[in-house]
Amino acid sequence: MTEHRRIVGDTLLKVENISLGFGGVQALSGISFEIREHEILAIIGPNGAGKTSMLNVINGFYHPQEGAIAFKGEVRRTMRPHRAAKQGIARTFQNVALFKGMSTLDNIMSGRNLRMHRNILWQMLYYGPARNEEMEHRHRVEEIIDFLEIQAIRRTPVGRLPYGLQKRVELARALAMEPELLLLDEPMAGMNVEEKEDMCRFIIDVNEQFGTTIALIEHDMGVVMDISDRVVVLDYGRKLAEGTPDEVRANQDVIDAYLGVPHEEELV
Amino acid sequence: MSDTDTFPKLLLENASRIGNRPGCREKDLGIWQTWTWAQVADEVRALACGLAALGFGRGDKLIIIGDNRPRLYWSMTAAQAIGGVPVPVYQDSAAKEMGFVIDHAEARFALAEDQEQVDKLLEIKGTNQTLESIVYDDARGMRNYDQAFLHDFDKVQEMGRAFDRDNPGFYDDAVAAGKGSDISVMLYTSGTTGNPKGVVLTHTNVMRTAENNEKMEGLKESDEILAYLPMAWVGDHIFSFGQNYTAGFCVNCPESSATVMQDLRDIGPTYFFAPPRIFENILTTVMVRMEDAAPIKRRLFHYFMDVAQRAGTRILDGKPVSSMDRLLYALGNVLVYGPLKNTLGFSRIRLAYTAGEAIGPDIFDFFRALGINLKQLYGMTEASVFITVQPDGQIRPDTVGVPAPEVEVKIADNGEVLFRGPGSFQEYYKSAEATSETKDPEGWVHTGDAGVFTEDGHLKIIDRAKDVGRLNDGTLVAPKYLENKLKFFPNIKEAVAFGHQRDYVAAFINIDLVAMGNWAERHNVAYGGYQELAAYPDVQDIVREHVEQVNRDLASDPQLGGSQIRRFLVLPKELDADDGELTRTRKVRRSFVADRYAELIEALYSDRNTCHVETEVTFEDGRKGMLAADLRILDAKTFPVAEAMREAS
Amino acid sequence: MDGAPVDLLNFVMGVFGGLFLDPVVSMFNRPDKLIQLFTQGLSAGVMYSLIALGFVLIFKASGVFNFAQGIMVVFAGLTVVTLMEAGVPALLAIGGAIVAMIALAFAIERAVLRPLVNQDGIILFMATIGLAFFLEGLGQTIFGADPKPVPVDKLLIPDGKLRLWGDVFPKPVRIYELDLTAAIFGALMVAAILLFLNRTKMGRALRAVADDNQAALSVGISLQTIWVIVWSLAGFVAIFAGIMWGAQSQAGFSLAVLALKALPVLILGGFTSIPGAIAGGLIIGVGEKLGEFYWRGVLGDGVEQWFGYVIALFVLLFRPQGLFGEKIIERV
Ligand SMILES: Nc1ncnc2c1ncn2[C@@H]1O[C@H](COP(=O)(O)OP(=O)(O)OP(=O)(O)O)[C@@H](O)[C@H]1O
Ligand SMILES: [Mg+2]
Repeated sequence: MTEHRRIVGDTLLKVENISLGFGGVQALSGISFEIREHEILAIIGPNGAGKTSMLNVINGFYHPQEGAIAFKGEVRRTMRPHRAAKQGIARTFQNVALFKGMSTLDNIMSGRNLRMHRNILWQMLYYGPARNEEMEHRHRVEEIIDFLEIQAIRRTPVGRLPYGLQKRVELARALAMEPELLLLDEPMAGMNVEEKEDMCRFIIDVNEQFGTTIALIEHDMGVVMDISDRVVVLDYGRKLAEGTPDEVRANQDVIDAYLGVPHEEELV
Repeated sequence: MSDTDTFPKLLLENASRIGNRPGCREKDLGIWQTWTWAQVADEVRALACGLAALGFGRGDKLIIIGDNRPRLYWSMTAAQAIGGVPVPVYQDSAAKEMGFVIDHAEARFALAEDQEQVDKLLEIKGTNQTLESIVYDDARGMRNYDQAFLHDFDKVQEMGRAFDRDNPGFYDDAVAAGKGSDISVMLYTSGTTGNPKGVVLTHTNVMRTAENNEKMEGLKESDEILAYLPMAWVGDHIFSFGQNYTAGFCVNCPESSATVMQDLRDIGPTYFFAPPRIFENILTTVMVRMEDAAPIKRRLFHYFMDVAQRAGTRILDGKPVSSMDRLLYALGNVLVYGPLKNTLGFSRIRLAYTAGEAIGPDIFDFFRALGINLKQLYGMTEASVFITVQPDGQIRPDTVGVPAPEVEVKIADNGEVLFRGPGSFQEYYKSAEATSETKDPEGWVHTGDAGVFTEDGHLKIIDRAKDVGRLNDGTLVAPKYLENKLKFFPNIKEAVAFGHQRDYVAAFINIDLVAMGNWAERHNVAYGGYQELAAYPDVQDIVREHVEQVNRDLASDPQLGGSQIRRFLVLPKELDADDGELTRTRKVRRSFVADRYAELIEALYSDRNTCHVETEVTFEDGRKGMLAADLRILDAKTFPVAEAMREAS
Repeated sequence: MDGAPVDLLNFVMGVFGGLFLDPVVSMFNRPDKLIQLFTQGLSAGVMYSLIALGFVLIFKASGVFNFAQGIMVVFAGLTVVTLMEAGVPALLAIGGAIVAMIALAFAIERAVLRPLVNQDGIILFMATIGLAFFLEGLGQTIFGADPKPVPVDKLLIPDGKLRLWGDVFPKPVRIYELDLTAAIFGALMVAAILLFLNRTKMGRALRAVADDNQAALSVGISLQTIWVIVWSLAGFVAIFAGIMWGAQSQAGFSLAVLALKALPVLILGGFTSIPGAIAGGLIIGVGEKLGEFYWRGVLGDGVEQWFGYVIALFVLLFRPQGLFGEKIIERV
C-alpha cells in the first residue's frame, strides 16, 4: 500500500452527544466524535450498532432528539439533506440508491445539479451559455468516468448493471458533487476480491488526489486497518472506542464486544 | 519507393503531402481526439529529440508496453528516427517473460503506458542489468514514484522541444541517415517451446509488404481502422503501423480494452482484422441476443439469414443470383443486415481479414452472407504477415488463398510450406542457430505448417508439419485437419485422429455435452452425465453421420482423400486438462493421450467391436476416481476418392 | 311466436350493421367528415394529453394521485376571466393566473404535502379530495357560482370555421379555429414540458426524484422545490385548459368533470409514463369523437362520456401493463 502524503488537519465535522431513538429502539446514545480534514475515518461495529444511523444523522436524513453537529464550524441541531449536500457532504448508500431508469451518465450528471446555474429556458433550448455550461459539467463527469474506469457503461441504464458496478456508479455520482466530506456506507459490501481491491484503490486515490475527507463504514477489517487513519467503534448505539487502527485493535472492550465475536462477514 | 525507404522519412513525406488528413485518433474523456499527419510528425519529432536528450542513441532498443495508444505508436517512429529499434512487448505478459525480452534485447530504455506496466518494469529492473530509463504515458497513480529514472511522457517531449531548438539540424540529419536495410522493429514471438525469439525486420521488409498488400486491396487515405490487438503482434504492426504510414489512412485507438465493441460502433472502420475467435464470439452474442428477442423479430432474423446464406455470399462473389433472391436480399438489408451490421460497427467495412487459425465455415459464411467482405490470409511474423491472401471473388472457407504479391511459396517433400519474399525476416536476434534452422541459404523460410495446393493454386493449410504422418501405403495423414473438420460440428467437442504408420485412419471423439444435452432434452432422453450420454446409441449414430460427412468431403480431395476415417469410438469421459490430456490452453496432448489409451487404439486397429477401458478421472471438485466402461467401436462408411480430377487438369 | 327468431336475427343484424357496416360505409361516403372528426379528436386529445401529463408529473414526483386537478382548471379559467372582466388586459390576466397558480403550488406544498411527507399514497389522495372541496368552496366565494363566458376575442383566439379542400371532397372539410388553436398551443406546451424534463437540470432532478427519493436528496435536490415545480406545471396546464375548454362553452364549475377525462388516458398510458400520457390522450380524443359520431345511432347519445373507458379497457385486455408500461429489468 502506498503511504499517504496528506496533512490531516483541523476538525471538519464534529458530532456532539448525539442521541437518536425510534420508538423503543435507541439507535444512538450520546455519541461524540470528530472527523478531521483530509483523513479517512472508518466507522465499525456489529450489525445494528447504529453506523448507518450515524451517517443518516450527519447528512440530515435523521434528526436526532439530542445533540448537535458542527460542520466547518457551523453548529446546528439538525441538518436538511439538501443543505448538507450544498455545504459539501456527499454520500453513498448501504443498499445502492441509484436512479435505476437513467443511464450511468445521467446518474453522474445529477451529482452536478447543484452546480448548474443557467437559466432553465436556455437549458431547454440548449443555447449559448447554458450549452457551454452543460459541456463543462460533462467534461468534469467524463474525468470522473475515466478516474473510476467505467467508460464502457456510460450509456447503460444503471438498473441493468451488476452490483459491483452499481456501487462504482454511486461513488461516481457522489464524486461529481466535488464534496469536502464523503460518506460511504459499506462501499465494498457484496463485492468479490478484485472489485474490493479496485474500490480500495479508488477510495485512497480520491483521498490523496483531491484531498477529500472520507468517513466510511466497512465490515472487512483487513480493509479498515489498511486504509483508515482513524477508527470509531460503535456498539448498541454507544461509542466503544476511537483511535488509530492499532489502538483500536488493542482495545479490550473492542475485542470483547466485536472483534472476538464472529460477524456475518469474515474478520481478521 | 525512391528515397523514402524508412518510416521516419515516410512520416515527413505524409506530413507534407497529406498534412491535414487525420493520421490517428483516440477516444479520451468520451471524445474522439484527432491528430493530423502534420501533428503526428510534430509529436514524433519532439519525442525523438526527448529520447535523444535522455541518451537514447543509434542501435538502442526501446521496449514498448501497453494498450494501443497513439503515443505508443509514435514512440516506434521516434525510436526509428534516431536510429533505434522499437521492441513492442505483449502488455499482459508477466514480469518474468517481459524480463527475458528486456535482457535478451539488452534494452536500456522502456516506454510504459501506465502505473501497472511501470510496476512490472520496476520489478524487472531489480535483476536486470541494462534497463536505465523508463518513460510513462499516463501519470495516474504515479505521484508517489520519485525515482530519477522515471520520466513523464510530456516532460520528455518538453525536453525534446528544447533539445531540438538547441540542436537545429539534429533531427533531420538523424532521419536522413536511416536506410531501408536498417532494422525497423524486433517482434518477439512466443514459441510453443523454449524462450521467445526476436524476429528482426527491416524497414524494407515491413514497408514493401505493407505496400504490396495495400495496392492489391486498394487501400486508401480515407480508410479507417481500429487498433485493438496487441502492438507486439506482427499483424497490428503491419495494419496499424506499416499500412497506416504507407496508405496514409487513420488509425483509431479505443478508449479502453473494455469499450472496444462500442468504439467499433463509433468509428465504423472500413478495414478490419480479427482472429476467428473474435468473429465466433460476435456471432454467439448475436445469436444469444436473438434468442431473447421478441418472436417476430426472431423469425424475421432467421428468415432473412436464410436468404442471406443463399444469396449473400454469391452476390459478394459476383456470381449469378435469381432476381427474386436479389430482391429479398435487398429487403433483408433494410430490415436485418443493415441494422445488425450497424450495431456491430460493421456497416462501412470494405475489407476484413481473419487469420491465425482455421475459422469455422459457419462463422465465415455468416459474416460473408451479411455482405461483409471477409477474407482469409496466411501469414506469420517471419514473413511480415502476408504469405498468401484470398483475392476478391475467390473466397473459400477451407483455403487461405494464393501467394501474396512478390511472395514465392512452395511445398517441401515432407509437406511443409516454404516461402520467400520481400517480407522475409533477417534473423532471430542473437540466435544464428535458430535462424539457420528456419531460413535456408537460398532464402526459403520454413513455416512449420504442412499444406497442399489445390488445382487452382490456392494453399490449404492442413496441420503442423511435424504432426503430419503417412499411412503404411504412403497416403498423407494430417490429424489436426481431420480433427478440425470434426470439431466444426457443434455436437463434437474434441477429436483425436491416428494413422501414422497404420493401415487406415481412426479417431477418438468427445461429444459436446451442451449441444448434445440439448438434443437429449428435446428428444426426452434422460441421462446421468457425460458417460451415459456418450454411450447412448442414437448419440453415437449422430456422431457417425458427422464422421461420414467428413469422409464425404475428404473424398473430393485427391491429396487427402485417402485419409478417411474408417473406425472411431466415443470416449467415455471428456478429455481434461486436470487429467493432463489437454494443455491449459485446451490443446490435445496427442502423445499423452495415445499412451494413456493405448488399449483403445489397439482395439481401433483390430477387428473387435467392443473394448473395456479403465482410467482415472478428476471430478469437478478435484476428487479423483476410477472410471470403467465397455466401449463400442464403430465403423464409418468411406467414399471413393475423386482421383480423376488430377488427370483431367 | 314464429316471428321471434326473425326479429332476433333482424336485431342482431341491425346491431352488427350499425356497429360495423354503417360506419365504414359512411366513412367511405363522407371522407371530409372523417377528416373533420379526426382533427376535432386530435385537438381534444392534445388537451387530454396535457391534463394527463399534469397528473403523471405529480404522481411521479410525489406519489400523489391529484384529485384536485379538475378544480384547478376551473380555478385557473375563472381567474383569467374574472381579471379580464375587471378590465385587466388579456396577457396581464394570464400572468396573474400564473402567479396565482404558483402561489397555490407553494401553499399546497406547505400546507398539504410537507406535513404529510412519508404518508401512504391513499392518505395523500384523500388529502387532495379535501383540497378539491376546499378549492371549490373558496372558488365559489371568490368568483360566484355562475359560469362566465370567456372573452375569446380579447384573448385573440380565432373563433371561426375553416373550410378546406372543397374541390377534393364532396363537401369541404370544416375545421373550427378554436380546435386548431387548442391543438397547436397544446402541442407546443407538451413540447415545452418534454424539453423541460429532458434538457434542464430541474427536469433531470424531477426524473431523479421519481426514481429514488433518498438518492435525490443526497445529491442536493430539494423535494420541496420539485413539488412546487410539478404543482406549478399542473397549474399552467390548468390555465390553458380552463381557457380553451371555457371558450367552447363557458368557464364554470362544471369544467371540473372534464378533467376526469384524463382518467382513462392514465389507465391507457400508465400512471408513470410520459409518452403514455401523450399517446393515450390522442388515442382517446380521436376514438371518442369517432365513436360519438358513428355509433350514436346504435349506442345512443352520450357515447362520448364513457367511450374513453371502453377504449382503455379494450387496450388493457391486450397489454395489461398499459400502452407504454415498461417491463422493469432488474438484476438481483
Ligand atoms: N428508520 C428506522 N426506524 C426504526 N428503527 C430504525 C430505523 N433506522 C435504524 N433503526 C434501528 O436502529 C438500529 C441501528 O441501525 P443501523 O442501520 O444504524 O445499524 P448499522 O450499524 O448500520 O447496521 P448494519 O451493519 O446492519 O448496517 C437498529 O436497531 C435499527 O433497527
Ligand atoms: Mg448499516
